[in-house]
Amino acid sequence: MFDVNEFILKKAKELGFGDVVVLAHETNRRQVRFANNEITVAKNWHERKVELFVEKDKRVASTTITELSEENIERTLKTLLSNMKGMAPKEDYYGIAEGPFQYKDIPETFDKAIVELDEPNEYVERAINAALEEGAKRVAGVLYTDHNKLYLTTSNGVEAFDEGTGIEISVRAFIGDLESGHGTNSVRVLKKFDPESAGRKAGEIARMAQNPEQGPEGHFDVIFDPLAFANLLSYMSFMTSAYAAEAGFSFLVNKLGQKVASEAVTIKDVGNMPNGYGTRKFDDEGVPTRETTIIENGTFKTFLLNTSLARKYGTETTGNAGLIAPHAWNVVLEPGDWSKEELFSEVKRGIYITNVWYTRFQNYVAGDFSTIPRDGIFLVENGELRPIRNIRVSDNLQRILEGIKALGKESYHIHWWEVRTPVSTPYVLVEDVGITRATK
Amino acid sequence: MELLEFAIEKALELGASYAEARFEEKNGTALALKNGSPEGLEVLADKGIGIRVLVDGGMGFASTNVLTKESVAEAVKKAVKLAKAASKVRNEPIRFSEEDFHRVSYKVKMKKDFRDFSPEEKLEILRKVEEEVKATGVNVPMRYISYYDQLWKKVFVNSEGAYVKSKIPRVSVTYNLVVFENGQMEQAPFVQRAFSGGLELIEKDEPWKWAAKDVEALKRLIYEGKKPPEGKVDLVISPEVAGIAVHESVGHPYEADRILGREAAQAGESFVKPDMLGERIGSEVVTVIEDPTIPNSWGFYLYDDEGVKARPRYLIRDGIITEFLTNREYAAKLGQKSNASARALNYNREPIVRMANTYLAPGDHSFEELIEDIKLGVYMVSFNEWNIDDRRYQQRYIGREAYLIENGEIKHPVRRPILEITTKALWSSVDAVGKDIEFYPGTCGKGEPGQGVPVWMGGAPARLRDIPLRRP
Repeated sequence: MFDVNEFILKKAKELGFGDVVVLAHETNRRQVRFANNEITVAKNWHERKVELFVEKDKRVASTTITELSEENIERTLKTLLSNMKGMAPKEDYYGIAEGPFQYKDIPETFDKAIVELDEPNEYVERAINAALEEGAKRVAGVLYTDHNKLYLTTSNGVEAFDEGTGIEISVRAFIGDLESGHGTNSVRVLKKFDPESAGRKAGEIARMAQNPEQGPEGHFDVIFDPLAFANLLSYMSFMTSAYAAEAGFSFLVNKLGQKVASEAVTIKDVGNMPNGYGTRKFDDEGVPTRETTIIENGTFKTFLLNTSLARKYGTETTGNAGLIAPHAWNVVLEPGDWSKEELFSEVKRGIYITNVWYTRFQNYVAGDFSTIPRDGIFLVENGELRPIRNIRVSDNLQRILEGIKALGKESYHIHWWEVRTPVSTPYVLVEDVGITRATK
Repeated sequence: MELLEFAIEKALELGASYAEARFEEKNGTALALKNGSPEGLEVLADKGIGIRVLVDGGMGFASTNVLTKESVAEAVKKAVKLAKAASKVRNEPIRFSEEDFHRVSYKVKMKKDFRDFSPEEKLEILRKVEEEVKATGVNVPMRYISYYDQLWKKVFVNSEGAYVKSKIPRVSVTYNLVVFENGQMEQAPFVQRAFSGGLELIEKDEPWKWAAKDVEALKRLIYEGKKPPEGKVDLVISPEVAGIAVHESVGHPYEADRILGREAAQAGESFVKPDMLGERIGSEVVTVIEDPTIPNSWGFYLYDDEGVKARPRYLIRDGIITEFLTNREYAAKLGQKSNASARALNYNREPIVRMANTYLAPGDHSFEELIEDIKLGVYMVSFNEWNIDDRRYQQRYIGREAYLIENGEIKHPVRRPILEITTKALWSSVDAVGKDIEFYPGTCGKGEPGQGVPVWMGGAPARLRDIPLRRP
């Protein structure tokens, strides 16, 4: 694809564009969906596309080209140019990164065995059976295999290539209507793939969740399972983008250098994490991805930035382009030193939440939100777990971070339908979480 | 579209018992203004073909955006292979309902074709929002306003004789406005105005007026807002709030694929079971209609993405559950005909059961009649936070703009009244419905990978008695 990239760059220069970024993708993705212990559909996507970003006199535009004939490329560039001519400039545009850069291979991001995998249904059956063995009656979920190639060429001397693979599964197991559990497993190399672990966890929680009673309301110490806390951190990841702060979608606005979480909390974005589902060698302008500490021991250190936004604020890019909106690659909540048993025995009367969904904000800038526990929910009393149902976490995101009392010592990498930005997080104990429920 | 016919023939030749091919092409522009500064132009251009087949009772889907005979043949081969392999992990074969198919072509006309206007002219719409917000004198330090238009072209063919060609233009303006006054901050996030049609619809709707009204209401809320009453009071919900409530607690749980477990690992299942058809779920004044055919609606279509002709669906009639939303697979499971709810967001997505435009049907009360006998209550005009459990039974809506009702009169604004209630209690509490309906756009999320499809939600205002209202 580099020949296509080069052609686009050459033509763009001829037409008088300034900054030009050409990011070509070739993707092969396969999906197997299942429900009621059977496969409902299997899919394959083959896509080839070029994402194009151009600038001329601080006017910026982007588009995607899928028909890669020379004629269509030239036509597209000319259309962009004529559209941009009359437009007002983006006054706060400060350019793209100066290349070239050196890239390191990141371990465990590519595995030929996944590319060559002919038939993944066996993994689906293994996950279903693992859940059934734990006592589940109905099992649903999805399996993906991924193979992506990225070709990046920019007008600032970048030419970069990355090839990645992945395989992941999400499993939800049911016993009755109200008794369910969920497990996931997302990895980049086949030998680390463990579909049974996802099925077993889903089945085990469903079994523990049998005969739930109506849950209480009030304020409780809550243990969030990694699956549940990953949801909150995934929503929060967007709020760490400088773009979200400017657009009024972040509770972190105007809080640089301030305490926004308990001392125990260090949150990073790690774009070059081995075996991370969001890992890539470089961002959308060619800057090598890296580890960026967003919150260090409770203090908010930086928004995620691209080159233009970094220059606007007089600092360095964090390697998170998005040319318009920077974004996280893999969010990591650093684990603590509590064993799972210690965490649970710390709670005299509290709640263990295994999963949540439908996180929505009343006010993004204040961070007020609610989210709905689903799958097993348990009242924790002196080490005993009693299943409950129908409660809602109604609280504030910063207050949740400030209320973190203890972190488990093992980290889990979570990526599924409700956790779009991959998150690594341990079990998390939060004090005094607001819990509400419907009373009519 | 020879490639589509070719795909069908190829699939049948390879052993498919059913095959469909769908070409989609989307072209448009997206623009945004962040705190008064343009964020850059996005030119949207996407096209490709999706192929879905049944082989030995298994379902396979493949798509490609490389529009050559070789690439389409490869996609067909993959779809057939996947379907065959999937058929081995099934308890029973997938069957589709019998339907009547047509060869048709339809389109939505634009009076002001957005393709005839430059990005700068479209940016003027956003500047007008910006200016009108400024003209209110309200302090709005964060402003994000976006515009997009897209022309959706589709051609659908299947192995049972369907041929449906459509062209639907869509145009929308969305804003996020953060008001800061008197040391307090309130927000109107993701407020959208959206239609199927041309720029004339945006001009007629005047989103700048909505934005100005929103920031003025938030300022008033900051200065004059008081705590809402707690405990059991009467609640009047506006068409916007009625809209989100019918969408979340009527539309979604009536999706047949959900009821029968296909979405269990994602959006979840449903408290509604097949044998609940004919059961009472609300009071006699509650009728909820799902209608894709409303002209210029955000969720508009006349034929669904399985080629079945669309019609209005009565989900609840006079408080009784009367109909589920179905596609061909789930209609067959229920022993019914499809009511044309199959929608796909793009060529690279499978058609699944979806809503289009869902609304609370009008009753016979004027707005004055709805509130005249309320001693103590709340009128919830708009909402921010909302969510519902994955069986669609426990929901919550928090008012953004809301007012106290006292002795039949609208009084001062109230802060964040919270309606947290079960679905049956909600619809059973309605004792009167207003005469006038309005619609509000949204993006309905479902499916994996996600398919956020355009929908309208709305209907008439409604009065709910004895609601346990909460405060934050």
